[in-house]
Amino acid sequence: MKKAIILGAILLAVMLAILPACATSTAGKVLKVGIMTPSTGPAAEKGSPMGHANLDAFEYINTELGGIEGYKVEVIWLDSAYDSAKVATIINRFMDEGALIWGTASSKEGAAAMEIANRAEFPGVVAFTSPVLYRPPQHIYGQLPDYGDDWAAFANYYMQNIWKGPGKPKMALHLLNNPTGYGARDAARALADKIGIEIVSVDEHTTTTTSEVESLTRIKAKNPDVIYISSTPAPTAVIIKNAYELGLYKPGAAGSVTIGLGHASITKALVDIAGANIVEGVYGVYPTVNWTDDVPGMAKVKEYVRKLHPKDEGNMDYITSWAQSMIIAEALRLAVKNVGYNKLAKGGVEAWRLVEKEGIQKLKNYDVGGLHGPVSYSPGDNRLSKSVRVFQIRNGTITPVSDWIDAPVIEYEKFDWFGK
Amino acid sequence: MSLPSGMRSMTYAQDMAILRTKTHWTLFIGFLIVLFTLPLYLGSYWLGVANLIGITLIAATGLNILIGYCGQLSIGHAGFIAVGAYTSAVLTNRFGLPFLVGLICAGFMSGIIGLIFGIPSVRVKGFYLAITTIAAQFIIIWVINHWDITGGFVGIRVPYASIGGYVLRSASSQFYLIMGIAALSIFFAKNIARTRLGRALIAVRDNDLAAEVMGINLFYYKMLAFFIGCFMAGIAGSLMAHWIGFMTTEHFTLAESILYIAMIIIGGLGTTLGPILGVVFIRLLQQVLTVQVVPFLEGTKLLPAGFASGVTPMLFGLVIILFLILEPRGLAHRWNLFKAAYRLWPFSY
Repeated sequence: MKKAIILGAILLAVMLAILPACATSTAGKVLKVGIMTPSTGPAAEKGSPMGHANLDAFEYINTELGGIEGYKVEVIWLDSAYDSAKVATIINRFMDEGALIWGTASSKEGAAAMEIANRAEFPGVVAFTSPVLYRPPQHIYGQLPDYGDDWAAFANYYMQNIWKGPGKPKMALHLLNNPTGYGARDAARALADKIGIEIVSVDEHTTTTTSEVESLTRIKAKNPDVIYISSTPAPTAVIIKNAYELGLYKPGAAGSVTIGLGHASITKALVDIAGANIVEGVYGVYPTVNWTDDVPGMAKVKEYVRKLHPKDEGNMDYITSWAQSMIIAEALRLAVKNVGYNKLAKGGVEAWRLVEKEGIQKLKNYDVGGLHGPVSYSPGDNRLSKSVRVFQIRNGTITPVSDWIDAPVIEYEKFDWFGK
Repeated sequence: MSLPSGMRSMTYAQDMAILRTKTHWTLFIGFLIVLFTLPLYLGSYWLGVANLIGITLIAATGLNILIGYCGQLSIGHAGFIAVGAYTSAVLTNRFGLPFLVGLICAGFMSGIIGLIFGIPSVRVKGFYLAITTIAAQFIIIWVINHWDITGGFVGIRVPYASIGGYVLRSASSQFYLIMGIAALSIFFAKNIARTRLGRALIAVRDNDLAAEVMGINLFYYKMLAFFIGCFMAGIAGSLMAHWIGFMTTEHFTLAESILYIAMIIIGGLGTTLGPILGVVFIRLLQQVLTVQVVPFLEGTKLLPAGFASGVTPMLFGLVIILFLILEPRGLAHRWNLFKAAYRLWPFSY
């Protein structure tokens, strides 16, 4: 009996010692994600809510969804201050800390980190992009269509739904003097002939412009059918007001030009600055839903923004970054499911390759709760969401007038003029 | 140079030596050993920070020659760095020239552009010269953005630096390149300060009328200061381009130009040590605030959301303001006071 008790005690002790090791415990195991946002500096207006949204979404994933496949997400969040020199060091920090994937908000941060990340094969997802980040495709992925895609989607919509005249319509471009404007210019350069649009003029403006009467007078002399503006809300408001004053744009009137906007222009701020009566009828493209849309993913977005960052409610950029975190989480979920946690836990270039090949590149029609178009990877195209919707300002409200429109990939690298 | 009591220079060479005592040599060799073995202890993040410090140091040393020694205020230094970065990027990417050719051409191109924008310094000075150099900043960036060969707003990829067929891919090999050139730049600047050229520049800075009366050619020396300052900016730009690997003009803002001036003022104008201390201080302060303080404060959840992020720029500005109030002669001066006290200890007063 005594021997049996001793044997039983030994067996129990051995079992107690072995069981924890045998169990596939996920406690204490984490998946690290690097997130940088321009939460201070000149782009803080966009970067701050975007950073909040990234962190809020991961909070939701960890607390309500139990992490990713049972593993908690550890976010290494850093403020880039929209400073390229800081970005170059932050991306190294992410790699040192063992992040499996990184994300950022703007094309500027993406460009500053791009080559360091590409050289290390460290995959990243950038929310607002320019084509140079992924043309030719390497290890950087675009969450949303870029400013060139906006132009292409609008041009196709215009040709199919608005233009009724004979021959080619004449289009004037009015562009902000940075990648926001030049993304649209490059797309027009690549596709205008193919789509059947004649570009009659290309004018630039600055973010601080107060009058565009001179440039619009030149444009008016060329008798365009449509003006496309790729800019931010304040300068866009100046251009539309000046066009209205010159009689070039007459809302609802016959003979008026049509005005189309890229996604950085068409926000509620534009309506507030320019006045609802002046921007009435203006078209624009945008890659996400807005706060009034009733889509499944919006409920949690609203719940968390109200709980954690109530001041960000109504900000479209918050939706974008929430969706970005959900996409990153889905890519990691696929990678864990396909190769197991242990291989990813080793970190370094092997883990990054697995996250890219078995995570990001396995994304297929992932639905971000309807917050934006479906997310898929297509070989040779590192844009994850490829669709935008066309909106029109009606009675001061930005109203969707189309379903999701796919923006075809533009192989910029095949053109001699594209920066290589 | 102040020396421990009892030191005598018996020859001209001894008198001119930079390192004059065994302690100097021991500390210097120890410093070099620590510096050049850093890649053994640091991860890629801190090596990246060290690379950024090295590149900034080269440019700031050039600016110190221009402002600190010659007294010519330039608020367009980031523009001159951009000239070097894009010269090197275009030559190596578009024309396939070797890195070293790109590096040297970057220096000369920035130097030449610096000469062009330095010409007004013969007739104007102070705030008026500052305005012309601000113009340089904007003109340079505008040209780069609108010239197809530079990639314009899209940007331009820059290959790895390579020397004699050896491609500098790793952060540590880039570190050795950058720190090697930074060390040469500091040595060069130190020697300029001790030569006829350095004395002429200081004379121009202190009183250009008196300097001219003494036979110093103002046009020649002012132009030379612009050329040297911008040459070093160009070298820094080239290194930055090959380190980051992709260039857009977003790297070279007016704010960056102003930050360079802040660095040399905080470090100590007109000293070789000043830019080193100023650059290390500012770049580390940026990193500490961004990478350590803000995430920590945000993580505590004791403060309102976004408060820590919003407070960071204020903290950064506050530190600089306090520094200028409490130590207007810069960190280099504080270092000299410390050395003097150390030598006289325990009888310092």
